[in-house]
Amino acid sequence: MAESRMKFVFPIGLLLAFVLDGVCSKIFAGYFFTSSIAVESRLLLLWFVLAIFLTDDTIEHIYIWAFCAGIFYDMYYTSFLGLMALLLPFLVYLNRAVFPFFKSSFIVVLLIYLIDVTLLTTLNYWAMTLIGQAGVSLASYVTQVLWPTLIYNLALLVVLFVPLRRIFVE
Amino acid sequence: MQKFFFNKKLVVTLIGLIVAFLLVAFSINVRNNRSMPPVIQQIGNEASGLVNAIVSYPATGIAKAGSAVGDLLNTYQENQKLKKQVDSLAAQKVENQTLRQENKQLKQQVKLNKSLTDYDKISAYVLSRTPSAWQNQVIISKGRTAGVVKNAAVMSKEGLVGRVVEVNQTNSKVELVTTKNDSANRFSVQLINTKNEIVNGLITGYNTEKNQLIMGQVTSKVKIKKGTKVITSGMGGNTPKGLFVGTVVRVADDDYGLPSKIYIKPAADMTNLNVVTVAKRTD
Repeated sequence: MAESRMKFVFPIGLLLAFVLDGVCSKIFAGYFFTSSIAVESRLLLLWFVLAIFLTDDTIEHIYIWAFCAGIFYDMYYTSFLGLMALLLPFLVYLNRAVFPFFKSSFIVVLLIYLIDVTLLTTLNYWAMTLIGQAGVSLASYVTQVLWPTLIYNLALLVVLFVPLRRIFVE
Repeated sequence: MQKFFFNKKLVVTLIGLIVAFLLVAFSINVRNNRSMPPVIQQIGNEASGLVNAIVSYPATGIAKAGSAVGDLLNTYQENQKLKKQVDSLAAQKVENQTLRQENKQLKQQVKLNKSLTDYDKISAYVLSRTPSAWQNQVIISKGRTAGVVKNAAVMSKEGLVGRVVEVNQTNSKVELVTTKNDSANRFSVQLINTKNEIVNGLITGYNTEKNQLIMGQVTSKVKIKKGTKVITSGMGGNTPKGLFVGTVVRVADDDYGLPSKIYIKPAADMTNLNVVTVAKRTD
């Protein structure tokens, strides 16, 4: 029963997370992109991580979903194809690989999500540096981008964990 | 050894990596191509844009309601300030009207139908912003069907905000002038000082910490006062002439006494964009 319901709920949530990443960045641009910090919203990743940990990894074709979400993200937001399309399935793979070793309690998911966001943001920074889009040093990347991004995304996880668990579990 | 080469995970990873690198290389290469993006990518972007619009309008509405309360608290002070400005504005408006009419008549007399200052305005909503620290891009709700072209200048009601970098059928991507990267094309701008001397230059960079645009490639020795207004010069063929960019805050001389860098405070607030105007040159 729960699985057949997930067939509809998961894609709809994915679509919302995808769009809300951009809409939140637009609405809160005054707080996200100031002279000293830059926050990258990672709702899409949050949706995947919670989907893996709260449904006991039962989402079907999750790699295909991750790839599609990634390629659409690249097309619509960055116009550098192939970046998120590779990184998202990679992170999904990592999460699925560590999933059997942990209980899906709030603290565990929080810590794993912390590592996920750090990985994704850093790999993205590295790739963007390679193709000449990001020109800041590693030190200022950590202080100006990574920290604010982590704080914002963790806060979002704390707020959304309980409502999203109700969606996934019930 | 045999087993190593036929390891399925390894093969998948390698192919994934190679395809991803090829795709990134492809995107970089075709970026400045006028006919880009390809049709498939456009269809994907249309679909995303449609969903985005459905979510974006109500979300922006809620955000506006929130800021309306804040606005209300400042209303009295703002009202006092604005009252003073309104009186002078009326006089200026009439003067502008007369000058515009005279300009039109003079242009007709010399049979100059289109000049650098003529442009078509296309208004568009801002749907979304790229959630990335490296690309200051917004996505607007008008595309090729409305007449938007690549490289057209984009304005907010205060001044210049950026340039169209990608056009789909019903939405387009705008790169803001605050973007700092190697490939960003810069605007050609000019300023006119109190003695009516013109200084030409290019926007060559942006200082994130101070929120200042940097105008470089300046060869003139003319003295420039703080507060001088900077406009686009219309050179380079993409932007019309006379779009307001910002005001001068600081002029830094180089070792030879030439003003090499002019720091400009941008007129538009790039973090509060809801409606923008695409300025498409008509000549």
